[in-house]
Amino acid sequence: MNTQNQTTQERRDSAPQGSNDILAARNVTKRFGPHLVLDNVSLSIERGKTTVVIGPSGCGKTVLIKHLIVLLRPTSGEVYFNDSRIDNLSEQDLNEVRTRFGFLFQGGALFDSLSVFENIVFPIRQHNRVKDWSHVEDIVKSKLAMVGLDGFQNYYPANLSGGQRKRVALARAIALNPEVLLYDEPTTGLDPIRSDVINELVLKLQRELGVTTVVVTHDMTSAYKIADRIIMLHNGKIVADGDADHIRNHPHPVVQQFINGQVGEDDLAILRMTGTASQTQFLPRDFEA
Amino acid sequence: MFEVLGARAIDDIGNIGQFGRFCWQTTAACLRGCWNHKTYPLVWAQMHIIGVRSVPVIMITGAFVGMTLAVQAYDQLKAMGFEERLGVLINISVVKELGPVLAAVMLAGRVGGALTAELGTMNVTEQIDAVRSIGTDPIWYLVAPRVMACLLLTPFLIIYADLLGILGGFFVGVKQLGINNWAYWSFSASGVELWDVVVGIIKGLFFGGAIAVISCYKGFTCKEGAQGVGQACTEAFVSSFISILVLDFVLAVMFKAIYNTFWPFRSLVG
Repeated sequence: MNTQNQTTQERRDSAPQGSNDILAARNVTKRFGPHLVLDNVSLSIERGKTTVVIGPSGCGKTVLIKHLIVLLRPTSGEVYFNDSRIDNLSEQDLNEVRTRFGFLFQGGALFDSLSVFENIVFPIRQHNRVKDWSHVEDIVKSKLAMVGLDGFQNYYPANLSGGQRKRVALARAIALNPEVLLYDEPTTGLDPIRSDVINELVLKLQRELGVTTVVVTHDMTSAYKIADRIIMLHNGKIVADGDADHIRNHPHPVVQQFINGQVGEDDLAILRMTGTASQTQFLPRDFEA
Repeated sequence: MFEVLGARAIDDIGNIGQFGRFCWQTTAACLRGCWNHKTYPLVWAQMHIIGVRSVPVIMITGAFVGMTLAVQAYDQLKAMGFEERLGVLINISVVKELGPVLAAVMLAGRVGGALTAELGTMNVTEQIDAVRSIGTDPIWYLVAPRVMACLLLTPFLIIYADLLGILGGFFVGVKQLGINNWAYWSFSASGVELWDVVVGIIKGLFFGGAIAVISCYKGFTCKEGAQGVGQACTEAFVSSFISILVLDFVLAVMFKAIYNTFWPFRSLVG
């Protein structure tokens, strides 16, 4: 049953782009020098749904999500947004496309020199989205209220905690009412409660704004909670694609290892090779003159 | 060995190409920025940081250059009986060479280092990517205002350095070493022409542009981590310093050729 389910689910990768797909990557390969990060990856993102990309650290998740907004250009392959190819556009043309995206960076990437208010106003001001500037304070207030941080307008990023920074960054990401929200490791570095706050926010924004959401994470609790669809990336390739149940029951050993948080035989072999505890620990004699 | 040299040469050519592209994008962004009213407040803010805050250090540099020149040259000139010509020696050195070059070197250290560190930190914390993800050109938003501020204000800072250099030389030469006041200024006036002052100021435009573009480029391309930012700052200063010296030589040759085309040779000692 699993195999059949896998076949059905993974056929979506190679299926032609439908009208309900807002984003698509076709045969995307990315190399940094000799290092192959994405290996012929194809996927499409369904409009209005939450797609979560999981995978171990260094497997190419962040590189993949940056390709979807063309912050990185593929070595080969194509990226589509609303059926139009975007990876070959000039930076100037891309600027217009990017206003339809919101991107939450791993560390928030708030502008240090600007206050919370100025950070959220930044995209609005850059794109002249407000006709009556007297309303801009209300707009910022509503964006901050949406992430539960109304009243923090005059704070600077340095005065905020990690979770607050991510929420302000989220408020900035939704400032232009985007169609697609991309989250790069939204819960990394946060305690379980703050992580759940972010998960609830992801769900809330998806529900209330109706945005298409793509989340990159290695936090399985978060993935199961927010995902309509989960894609697993391993060594630059998609190894699993389906809903939470499909991933839970996936026969691929790498998927099972990852979702259960088990160390693989390869990693164990490396640990064994580094020597025993007595060989690797310092002893008092090592410090004697 | 050939393999290593070849790989390095290819790497260097790639970097030169990348820098050339960055310069082109910066020039285009500056020209676009001239007609975009949103650029003006950004340039204004950078003018305050780059220009106004550099005034004290530039003035100190200029003053000490003038004073040191006076101390060093006085004995030699006195031995030849030319001590009253100390003014012309100091003033022409300051306005034509030492004022612009040393002011630019100070700026490369003070402003260039700060620009690289700021943009480098923004780079490694993904703030530059954040600007792009918002649909704003980071070269227009971050680089163009800094380059424009440097281009506009370096010539003014050089005027400050020149003024203080002249005053420093006067203070030591006339007030400390006892050279006749009238002779000091009269020889200076006959030896230093408006052309010399203008040449120094025009050099400032080139120096300012070079410092800003190199520093911003190093910030934009710096490697990850604190070490990456530190290394980028060092490289920015060294590259800026070398380009100031190279530009100074090239501009000296060019301006001398232009001068000789229109005006006859003049001796400062005759």
